[in-house]
Amino acid sequence: MVTAAAAAPAPVIDVQGIVTRFGATTVHDGVSFRVGRGTLVGLIGSSGTGKSVLLREMIGLHRPTAGRVTLLGTDIWQASAAELDAVRRRFGMMFQDGALFSSLTVAQNVAVPLREHTRLAPATVDALVALRLAQAGLPAEAAARRPSELSGGMRKRAAIARAIALEPELLFLDEPTSGLDPITARGFDRLVRALVDDLGITVLMATHDLDTLLTVVDRVIVLSRGRVLADGSVREVTAVDDEWVRRYFSVRTMTQGDLGDGS
Amino acid sequence: MQETPASPWFHVQTQAGAATLRLAGDWRLAQLAEIETALSGLALPPGTTVDGSALTRIDSAAAQVLLRALQQAGCGLLGEACAWAGFDAAHARIVDQVRRHVAASAPPPRPPPRPALAQLGRQALALGSLLLGHLNFLGATAAACGELLLRPRQLRPRELTVQLEQTGLNAIPVVSLVTLLIGVVITYLLGLQAEKYGANIFVVDGVGIGATREFAPIIVAIIVAGRSGAAFTAQLGSMRLTEEIDAIRTLGLSAMQVLVLPRVLALMLTLPLLVFVGDVASLVGAMLVAGPMLGITPAAFLARLREALDISHVLVGLAKAPVFALAIAVIGTRMGMTVGRDTGAVGAATTSTVVQSIVAVILLDAGFALLMQALEW
Repeated sequence: MVTAAAAAPAPVIDVQGIVTRFGATTVHDGVSFRVGRGTLVGLIGSSGTGKSVLLREMIGLHRPTAGRVTLLGTDIWQASAAELDAVRRRFGMMFQDGALFSSLTVAQNVAVPLREHTRLAPATVDALVALRLAQAGLPAEAAARRPSELSGGMRKRAAIARAIALEPELLFLDEPTSGLDPITARGFDRLVRALVDDLGITVLMATHDLDTLLTVVDRVIVLSRGRVLADGSVREVTAVDDEWVRRYFSVRTMTQGDLGDGS
Repeated sequence: MQETPASPWFHVQTQAGAATLRLAGDWRLAQLAEIETALSGLALPPGTTVDGSALTRIDSAAAQVLLRALQQAGCGLLGEACAWAGFDAAHARIVDQVRRHVAASAPPPRPPPRPALAQLGRQALALGSLLLGHLNFLGATAAACGELLLRPRQLRPRELTVQLEQTGLNAIPVVSLVTLLIGVVITYLLGLQAEKYGANIFVVDGVGIGATREFAPIIVAIIVAGRSGAAFTAQLGSMRLTEEIDAIRTLGLSAMQVLVLPRVLALMLTLPLLVFVGDVASLVGAMLVAGPMLGITPAAFLARLREALDISHVLVGLAKAPVFALAIAVIGTRMGMTVGRDTGAVGAATTSTVVQSIVAVILLDAGFALLMQALEW
C-alpha cells in the first residue's frame, strides 16, 4: 500500500481540512479532497454551501479560516508572492459572469495574459488568440466585438478562451452553464470535455446543472453542511443515502418518468 | 549523415537524401519565445519526416507555432506535405486538435486607421446628436412636469425629500467654505488696488455686486455640478446596469416620475437656496478681511453695503440659479438614463456629466450677462 501511494502521481488539487467562518456562521467545517491529473470534477451542493467561496479559497482570493490548499504542488496560503505568481500562470479561472474586461474587445481580453506573461512576438500572440477563440468555439467575427455586444453563451466562451490562454494545467469554472439555454449549455459541456480529453487539462467546476453532471463529469463532490458528503462517480454518488442527494437527483428521474408516462 | 547545429528542441537530420526533423524535450508556452526564435529561418526539403518520438510534452500553443514554422518551411498549411512519425498518442491528439482549428483561425482583422478629418466629422456629429438628445430629454422632463401638474398625486414626496437633503442640506458646508474663501480672495485683491487711491470703502461696492451677481452663483453651480450632477449619473447609471430602471418600467411606473423629476425639482429648489448661502458666506468672508486690511469696521461695511448693493443684483444672481440647476439636473439624469451597459460606461458618463454641466453653466451665465445688459438691469 505504502509503495503504491508513493508511486502514485502527486495530485493536481489537494484540499485538506478547509474551515471557513464568516462571523458566527460556519460555511466549511473540514472540507478535504484530492483531484488527479486529467479529470473533470463537478462540485455540487445546495445554495449557500459555499461552492463559490471554496473556489475563491482554492485560487488564492479568499483566505480560509483554517486548512491547506495545494495546487500543482504549491501550498497556496503559504507560498511567497513570487511562488503564487508562478502557480497562477499554471491554472485558469472562469468567473460566473465571465468577468471580461469591458473596455477591451474579446481578442484583446484573450491577449491580456499572453502579453503580460510571455515574450512572444505580436504576430504570434495574434495567432494564438485566434487559436484560443477557435478552441473555445467562438466565430472569428466575435474577436473584434466588445463583451457587452455578445450573447450570454458567447461571453462564457470568451471567458473560457481567456482562462485557457496560457495553456493552464488546471482550470476552475464557476457555474459555467448557468443562464444558458440547454442547447448552448450542452455545447459548452462538450467544449469542456474536449479540453480535458484533447489537452489533458484538469477541470474543477462548481455547477447546478444535472445534465452536465450526468453526461460529461468524471467525478462528483457533494458539499453539504460544511463537509464533503459524497465523492465519486455519478453512479456512486446517487447511491449515497442522504435526503438532499436523493431529492437532487430525483428531480431528474421524476421528469424523465413523467415524460415517459406521457408518450 | 548530416546534422544542423542542435537546439534543445529540435534538429534536422539528413540521411541518404531524406530529411528528418527530430523534435525533442518540452514544447510548452513558457519556452515558446525561445522555441520560436530557434525555429525562424528553418528550411526543409519536400518530403521531410517530422519525428516526435523524443518529445516529452507539447501543448497546443507550441503545436500551433510548430505548424506555422512548418508552413513557412514548405510543409503546407497543416503540415500535410510532410510525413509525421513517432508521435505519442496524447501529443498527436493535441497536434490534431490545433490542426482542426488552424484553418478556422485567421488572426482578427485590425480596425483600419481613421483619417483625422473623418474623425473630426464623426465627433461633430456625435456632439450634435448629444445636444439634440439633451433637448429631447428637456422636453420629456417638461412634459412629465405638466403631467404632474394635472395629477399632483404622482409626486413622490419621499424621493423628493431624500434628494432635497442630499443635494441641498448636505452641500451647505462645502458651499459655505468655498464661497467664504472666494469672498476673502476678491476683497484682498480689490483692496490691494483700492488702497493705492485711498478708495478703501468702494471695495464693499465691488465685492457686494461681484459676489452676489456673478461669483456666488457660478461657484455654487460648479460645486453642485461636481457633487450632485455626477451623483445623478452614477446612481441612475448603475441602476440601469442592474436593470432596476427596466424593472421600474415593467412595474407600470414612469421612470421620469420616479427617478428624473424628483432630482430635477430638488435641484431647482435647492440651488437658489445654496446661492443665497453662498452670497452671505462670501460677504462674511469679505467683512473678515475688510476690517484688518482696509480698516473698514463691520458696522461701516454693512452700512456701505446697504447703500451700494441694490437688491436687483442679488435677485439677478438668485434668478440664474434655477436655470443652472435645470441644466445640471437634465444633463446628469439623461447621461445616467442612457449610459451603455458596461461598467466602464458609467465612469465615462459621470466624467462627461461634470464637464458638460460646467460648460453649460458658464455658457448660460454668459447668455445671462448679455440678456441683462440688453434689459439694462
